[in-house]
Amino acid sequence: MDETLQHIKTPVVAARAIGTRVLRSEDPRLLSGRGVFLADTVLPGELHAAFVRSPVAHARITRIDVSAALALPGVFLAWTGTDVLPHCEGLVGEFAVPGCNATTMPLLATGEVVYVGEPVAVVVAESRYAAEDAAELIEWDFEELPVVVSADAALAGGDVANSQLPDNIGITGGATYGDVELAFEQADQVVSGRYYTGRVSAAPMETRGVIASYEWASGQLRVWSGSQMPHFVRYCLTAYLGFPEQCVEVIAPDTGGGFGQKAHVYVEEMLLPLLSRELDRPVKWVEDRRENLMAGTHAHEQYVDIAYALDDTGRITAVRTDALGDGGAYHAPPWSMAVEPWCAVVMTPTGIYDVPAAEYSYTAVATNKTPIGAYRGVGYMAGTLARECLADDAARALGMSPFDFRRSNVVREFPWTNPQNIVYDEGSWLETIDALEEMVDYTAFLQRQAELRLQGRYLGLGLSCFVESSGESTATSKEHGLGDVYHDTATVRMDPNGTATVTVGLTAQGQGLATTMGQMAADTLGIRVEDITVRMATSTSQAYGSGTVGSRGAVIASGAVARAGGIIREKVRAVAAHMLEASENDIELADGTASVAGAPDAKVAIADVAAAIYFDMTAWPEGFDPTLEATLAYDTARPMFSNGGHAMIVELDPDTGFVRFEKVFSVEDCGTVINPNVVEGQIRGGVVQGIGAAVFEELSYDASGQLLSTTFLDYGLPTMDVAPPFEIRHLETPSAHTASGVKGMGESGLIAAPAAVLNAVNDALTPFGAVLRELPLTPEKVFSAMNGSSAGEAS
Amino acid sequence: MKPPTFSYVAPGSVEEVTRLLASDPDAKIISGGQSLMPLLAMRLAGPSMLVDLKAVNGLARIGIGETEITIGARVTHHDIESSAELASALPLLPFVARFIAHPQIRSRGTLGGSVAHSDPSAEWPTVLLAMDATIDVVGPRGGRSIAVDDFFTGPFTSSMAFDEVLVAVRVPRADRRWAFQEAARKAGDYGLAIVAVTAGVDADGRLHGCRVAVGACVGTTTRLRDVEDAIDGAVPGETLAARAEAVARDSVQPISDIHGSSEYRRRLLGNLVRRAVTDLTNGQ
Repeated sequence: MDETLQHIKTPVVAARAIGTRVLRSEDPRLLSGRGVFLADTVLPGELHAAFVRSPVAHARITRIDVSAALALPGVFLAWTGTDVLPHCEGLVGEFAVPGCNATTMPLLATGEVVYVGEPVAVVVAESRYAAEDAAELIEWDFEELPVVVSADAALAGGDVANSQLPDNIGITGGATYGDVELAFEQADQVVSGRYYTGRVSAAPMETRGVIASYEWASGQLRVWSGSQMPHFVRYCLTAYLGFPEQCVEVIAPDTGGGFGQKAHVYVEEMLLPLLSRELDRPVKWVEDRRENLMAGTHAHEQYVDIAYALDDTGRITAVRTDALGDGGAYHAPPWSMAVEPWCAVVMTPTGIYDVPAAEYSYTAVATNKTPIGAYRGVGYMAGTLARECLADDAARALGMSPFDFRRSNVVREFPWTNPQNIVYDEGSWLETIDALEEMVDYTAFLQRQAELRLQGRYLGLGLSCFVESSGESTATSKEHGLGDVYHDTATVRMDPNGTATVTVGLTAQGQGLATTMGQMAADTLGIRVEDITVRMATSTSQAYGSGTVGSRGAVIASGAVARAGGIIREKVRAVAAHMLEASENDIELADGTASVAGAPDAKVAIADVAAAIYFDMTAWPEGFDPTLEATLAYDTARPMFSNGGHAMIVELDPDTGFVRFEKVFSVEDCGTVINPNVVEGQIRGGVVQGIGAAVFEELSYDASGQLLSTTFLDYGLPTMDVAPPFEIRHLETPSAHTASGVKGMGESGLIAAPAAVLNAVNDALTPFGAVLRELPLTPEKVFSAMNGSSAGEAS
Repeated sequence: MKPPTFSYVAPGSVEEVTRLLASDPDAKIISGGQSLMPLLAMRLAGPSMLVDLKAVNGLARIGIGETEITIGARVTHHDIESSAELASALPLLPFVARFIAHPQIRSRGTLGGSVAHSDPSAEWPTVLLAMDATIDVVGPRGGRSIAVDDFFTGPFTSSMAFDEVLVAVRVPRADRRWAFQEAARKAGDYGLAIVAVTAGVDADGRLHGCRVAVGACVGTTTRLRDVEDAIDGAVPGETLAARAEAVARDSVQPISDIHGSSEYRRRLLGNLVRRAVTDLTNGQ
C-alpha cells in the first residue's frame, strides 16, 4: 500500500493503561441488567411486524391471498412480494472475483421460494400477537419443486436449487503457486483427507431485530438494528431504497452478540423502513429464536479435500486444497457464498507451515437451505480444520509426535514470504508450539494416557495452531486479490477539565471495545482511563466505520483513536511547552501530567493545560488553534497476521460416546495486548464456540429440505457445564504498523478450536483404529468409532 | 412466538376445575407452564381456555406418611430437590430432580404437570414407573387412583380423561434399593436415554420385586419386564449387570431422530441398564 497515505500511520504512545487488566467499563450497565437492547426500545405508537416464512424448501408460489389477514382487527398492513417489488428488486449478492455468479435476494419472495424460512409475506399489526394471528390467516398455494439439499447433489447438476443459478454454481475458482504437480510426483508419501465442518448457526444470545421510524414531515428515517455494520446498512437504505443518505440514521443499541451473523444486510432491514413510511408509524420486528435458526444466516458448511506431499524427513513439500461449500439458496450480501470456501483456501493456504508450493480451488454451490453467512473466523475455521487435522494424520503416518511434526515444518524466519507472495512480517509460530508442549507437559500426558487406557479410560490430546489475518483492511483485501476499501474514523475531544470523550465508528456486541479504546486513548493523551468516556458507534451520525468484522475492532479503532488522539496530544504538548517555557519536543504526557524530559519539577497538570486552551489565551503559543477535537481515519498499511494455538485434552465415554473436555491450553499472540481480561474473554468464548461447532451444534435438514433443528432443544449450544477450564499464555510480537503494536484476535478461538477437538478425539480413538473427519462429533459417531462400526462415518 | 388467543380462568377448587374442563373439550390445565407455554408460543397447541391451578389450595404439599409419601400436583421440581424430608425418606426423588432441565424451569415446573403431560423424555414418568407410584385424579364423576403401570398409554398420552385433573402422586415408602441413569449431553438437556431401577433385597442378597423403567429413547415410558425377570432372584454384580445389558438391548425398539439412531440408542440403553444394575446402591 502507498506509504504516503497519512491514514495508515499512528503515533507511538507510552504504555500506562495498555497491557493492564482494566475492568470493563461496560459491565456495570450490562451485568446489572441496565443495558438497552433493541427490544427494550419502545417508540410511541409503534406497530409490530411478523413474517410469513416458507414452510417448504423449494416451490413456485401460485396464489397468495392476504384478505383474511387484513380483515382481522388491529391489522394495519399485509404485503407480499408484488407489493415490495416496485420499491426494490432485491439485495444483490456477489463476490468481486471472476467465477462468481450473482444472485438477487428479493425482500419478499415472488414466484419462487428457495429455502425453509424465506419470507413470503409480512403483516403489521398493533401487537406482535395480532401480527402472528394475522400471519396465520394469509393463504397461499404453491407447487413444490425438486429440492437440492447437499453440496454433492448441487455439484452433480440436474435439479436446480435457485433458478437464478441454473448450474447451482455460486462461485468457483482456484490458483497454483509453485510446482505442486512435481512435488506430489516426487513425494515420498502423500497424506490426504476430506474434512466436513458441519452446518451451524452463530446463535447470538440476542436474535436479530429492526425498528424503523420514518417522519414524513422532516423526511428523516431512523433505523435501529443490532448490526455489526450500521454504516453499510445506511448505505444500502440509500442505494436500494432511495432514502437520502443524509436523512438516514442507523442506530445500533446494546447488542447481545453478533459473531458475523449481524455483519450482513438483511431483507428485514430494508423492509421495515418501507413499512414505516407506508404506515407513517414506527414499526418493530424482534426476531424469535425459531426465525433466527431458520432465517439468520447459517455458517460453515463445507467439505475440504486436502493433501500434503511429504518427503522422508517429514517435511511438507506441497499442499493441495479443494473446498466445496454448501452455500444455501442465495449469496448473503455483502460477503456472498465465497465467505466460506474462498476464504478457507485463499487466506493462509499453508497455515503456519513453510510449504513452498500450494494449489487451491474453491466452489460454492447453491442448495435449498438457508444462505451461508459470516461467522467468527469465516473460512479460517474450515481451512484450519483441514490443515491441522491432516497435520496430525501425517504425524501419525510418520510416527512423529504432533509437536515434532509441526516443529519440523513451521516457519521460523520472518519476514516470511508465502507461496502467494504475501509477506508475513512477524510471528511467534515456533514459540507457540513449544509453549503448548510445555503447558500440557506432553511426556506426563503420554504416561497418564497409557495408564488410563489400561483401566478402560480413553484420553486424547489434540493440538491446533493457526495464523489469521488480523484487522480486515484495504491492504489485506488487496493482497488477496480483492478491491475492498476499509477505514474507520474516530473522534477525540478533550474537555476543559482535561477529560476526554472518544467516539469510534465501530459497534460493539459485548467485546469490551469501549474499555480497550479507552485504554488506547488514555495512553495517547497521557490521562487516566477513568477520565475517558468512549462511545461506540451507537449511531451513524457519529464516526464512520466499515464494520466490526474480521478481528479488526481493536486494530482499526485503536489506530483511529491514536491518530485523532495524537492531534489533541500535540496541541496539549504545544501549550504545556509554552506554559513551562520548554521545548515542545521535550514535553512528555503521562499520568495526567505534562512534564519536561530531564526536569522532573517542571510540570503542569493536563487538566490545567486543557483549561488554558479553553479559557486562557495567554497560555497559547503564537498562532495556536484551540480546536480540541479531532476526527481522523485509520487503515492498516499492510496485511497483518496474528497467531497462536490451542491444545485440548478430552476423554471419551465408551458407554455413551460423549466427549468430556478436561482442559484447554491456549497460546495467543495478538501483538501488544491492550487488556488481558478482554483477550482472555475472547479466547474462552471463541474456543467454547469451537467446542460447540465440533461436538454439540448441528443444523439438520431432512431429505425434503426441512430444517429439523429450530429450537435450542434440538440445536445444542454448549453450556457452562461442558466448558472446560483454561490455561492461557500470551506471547507478544507487536506489529510495526499499528498503534502500540496491537493485532486482532477476536476470531482466533473459533478458528482453531474445532481442529484441536477433532485431533483430541482422534488421539483418544487411536486404540480403536478409527479416525473421524466429519463434524460434529455426535455421541453416535464417537460410539460407533469405539465399537468398530462404520455408522459414525456416514454423512 | 406469541400464543394465539385463549381465555384464562383460575378457579379456587378442584371441583370448579373439573367442571370447566368438562364444559370445554378444548380447555387445557396450566400449572407451572414449563411445557405448555413453549407449545403455545410456537403455536403447536391452541387450547380455547387455560384453567390455572394456582388458586386451588392444598395441591402443593409434600406428605410423609408411614407407608407412603404423597406429593401434591403443584409441588415444583425445586421443592422436591430441596426437601429435607424427602432427602431422608425417599432420596431418589431429590436425586432425580436435579436432572430436570435448568434451575429456572425447576422452580416453576411441577410434578403433576410433568406426569400429566406424559412426555416420555421427562424424568418423573420413568422414575415413578420404577417406584410403583399411584396417581390420584379427580373428575366430574369423583376421584380415582390410577396405578402407574396403567397410566402412561402413549407419547404424551395417559389414561386420564380430558376432564380429569391430577391432584397428587403417591409413592410407597418401601425399603428398596434404587439406581437412576440418564445420558444427557449437557446439564438440563433431555436425555438420550433414561433408566430407573428399584428392587428389594433379600437377607441373602438376592433382588426381588425388581422394577426397571425406561424413558427418553422410547415413544412411551415403559417397563423392561424381560430385564426385571432376568435380574429377579439374582445377586447384583458385574455378571448380572452384563446379563441385564444384553437382555435390555433385545427388549426394546428405540426411537430414531437427529440426536441418535435407534441402533445407537439400543446400545446406549443397554449400557445404562448395566450401569444401573451395577450401582443398585441408592446413588452411593
